[in-house]
Amino acid sequence: MSLVEQLERIDDYRWRIPRDERRGMRTDVRVYASKSILEKIAKDASLEQAANVATLPGIVGSSLAMPDIHQGYGFPIGGVCATDMSSGVVSPGGVGFDINCGVRLVRANLAVGDVRPKLRELVNQIFRDVPCGTGGSGFVKINPKELDHVLVEGARWMVRHGYGEPRDAEYAEAGGALDDADPGHVSDRAKERGRPQIGTLGSGNHFLEVQYVDQIADEEAAQAMGLAKDQVVVLIHSGSRGLGHQVCTDFLREMGAAMKKYGIEIPDRQLACVPTQSKEGQAYLAAMRGAANFAWANRQGITHFLRGAFKRIFGDSTQLDLIYDVCHNIAKHERYEIEGKKRDVLVHRKGATRAFPPGHPEVNPVYRHVGQPVFIPGSMGTASWVLAGQEGSMRETFGTTCHGAGRLLSRAAAKKGRDLQSVLKSLEDAGIYIRSETKKGILEEIPEAYKDVDEVIEVVHNAGLAKKVARLRPMGVIKG
Amino acid sequence: MSEPFEILDHTADTGFRAWGATVAELFENSARAMMAISTDASATEARGEKYIEVGGEDYESLLVNWLNEIVYLFDTNAFAPKDFRVEEITPTHLKGRLVGEPRDPQRHPWALIIKAVTYYELRVEQRKGRWEAQVFLDI
Repeated sequence: MSLVEQLERIDDYRWRIPRDERRGMRTDVRVYASKSILEKIAKDASLEQAANVATLPGIVGSSLAMPDIHQGYGFPIGGVCATDMSSGVVSPGGVGFDINCGVRLVRANLAVGDVRPKLRELVNQIFRDVPCGTGGSGFVKINPKELDHVLVEGARWMVRHGYGEPRDAEYAEAGGALDDADPGHVSDRAKERGRPQIGTLGSGNHFLEVQYVDQIADEEAAQAMGLAKDQVVVLIHSGSRGLGHQVCTDFLREMGAAMKKYGIEIPDRQLACVPTQSKEGQAYLAAMRGAANFAWANRQGITHFLRGAFKRIFGDSTQLDLIYDVCHNIAKHERYEIEGKKRDVLVHRKGATRAFPPGHPEVNPVYRHVGQPVFIPGSMGTASWVLAGQEGSMRETFGTTCHGAGRLLSRAAAKKGRDLQSVLKSLEDAGIYIRSETKKGILEEIPEAYKDVDEVIEVVHNAGLAKKVARLRPMGVIKG
Repeated sequence: MSEPFEILDHTADTGFRAWGATVAELFENSARAMMAISTDASATEARGEKYIEVGGEDYESLLVNWLNEIVYLFDTNAFAPKDFRVEEITPTHLKGRLVGEPRDPQRHPWALIIKAVTYYELRVEQRKGRWEAQVFLDI
């Protein structure tokens, strides 16, 4: 029987694939999806991959699939897996190559009407000041010793060295730096790749969008986040660049060999894992935290140059305030009540976002009464969402919600039969101006390549994982 | 045999299938496939060489390590390859050469930044008298 045939409906937004011993599954898979989203999910290998994740030693609760899930390599993208902190495993593939790939949202003291007349000028200026890195390095020059400090202090180091405003770091998940990072476990190669890349976007699905608030869904939460209708905001989607990619490459290689020693067998080599408390597991986590901190520094650098671009076009009184910054590729040590008992787990979020509810001590005090801000970028030219974490996430998903719209079409299928000029024209007709270093970048990321973000959001909202706060529409796009 | 490689489709990423009469040729063609995906090497000049030596546990991990070495050299601006030579190869060891020039990011931009070479559905096998590999890349 195929996995799709084994799917059981729990309610309108929850589905289950029961544990199947023949497949080596240690637990169920739980999928968050509407019926129509589920039909799309069932078309690629993502359910198969979620079932493979259920085989990992020490998995706690179910292997979770968010509504934006799509096929990755090893782990599905949009998957969540918690493992027991003392007896479970850590898997670099459960974090991904782009460690702490994430999203930050910055609000401007400008309205859509202020920006529209100078949109092209603004986008061209940002395009000059925030390179995507295909053709060289960024504008932040640091030496190897300083890089080691960045790996420990993340966004805080950047702020202290003039790349930001004092409040910036506080308004990021984990205050813009995870504790217990160890640059000594980050290879020289990883450092060499990443050092010139702070303040660069990267390519693929990374982007920077100038947007405006087109709909407020929750007044109280929007007010807490300083969002009003027609207000201009900037969404930044980027990660740890070559540094994080190399850390993952290095540890996949090391763990591939170490697994035999620990007698671990897995259905897909990309799921390579070792006991979390092993020497290799601890080394990976120390390096991963360093890469995560590098990613926060990168997004902080981008924010700094973004401010410069806005001031150049709209004058020195332009104020850009960071609302929040969330990561969606990470493994974190967190505590949850499971069947009445508090348990320490390592939550792998692979294309999934932390969504702590109101009252949670780790939510920034400014947002504690409404829940942690979550940002869900939609596809290029459609809409993005601001959400706030809700109680359901603590009960069901290890404090987690979705991270995007979720790809539907492969890159080749997206490009097929479409030419650049007609894509640009249809974006222009929708009032969107786009700059990209590569043509490929635009064609591969067309809106049709993704699921409808509104439909994805509907699922997490109705399942009580995160609630809708505001919908954002793009005006200007910068793509790698 | 027509093309020595073809580009594969994957929902989120990209990959290729490559062939070779020998395993050495397979590794060379795999590197050429990855180069075709990530950069336009037509303007790169063959005026220098870079020696590479990598190890692995088997042909599959050796292929991943060989390709990741090329990604690393490119991403650190150390070298822009134009072509590849594999001089010695066993399942656990490879000695090879990149032909090209020192990378100037302005002249040799990424067409698509490759984050890493993955183990996902990775295959290296001998079929009907020739070698075939399948590789997916995270982009």
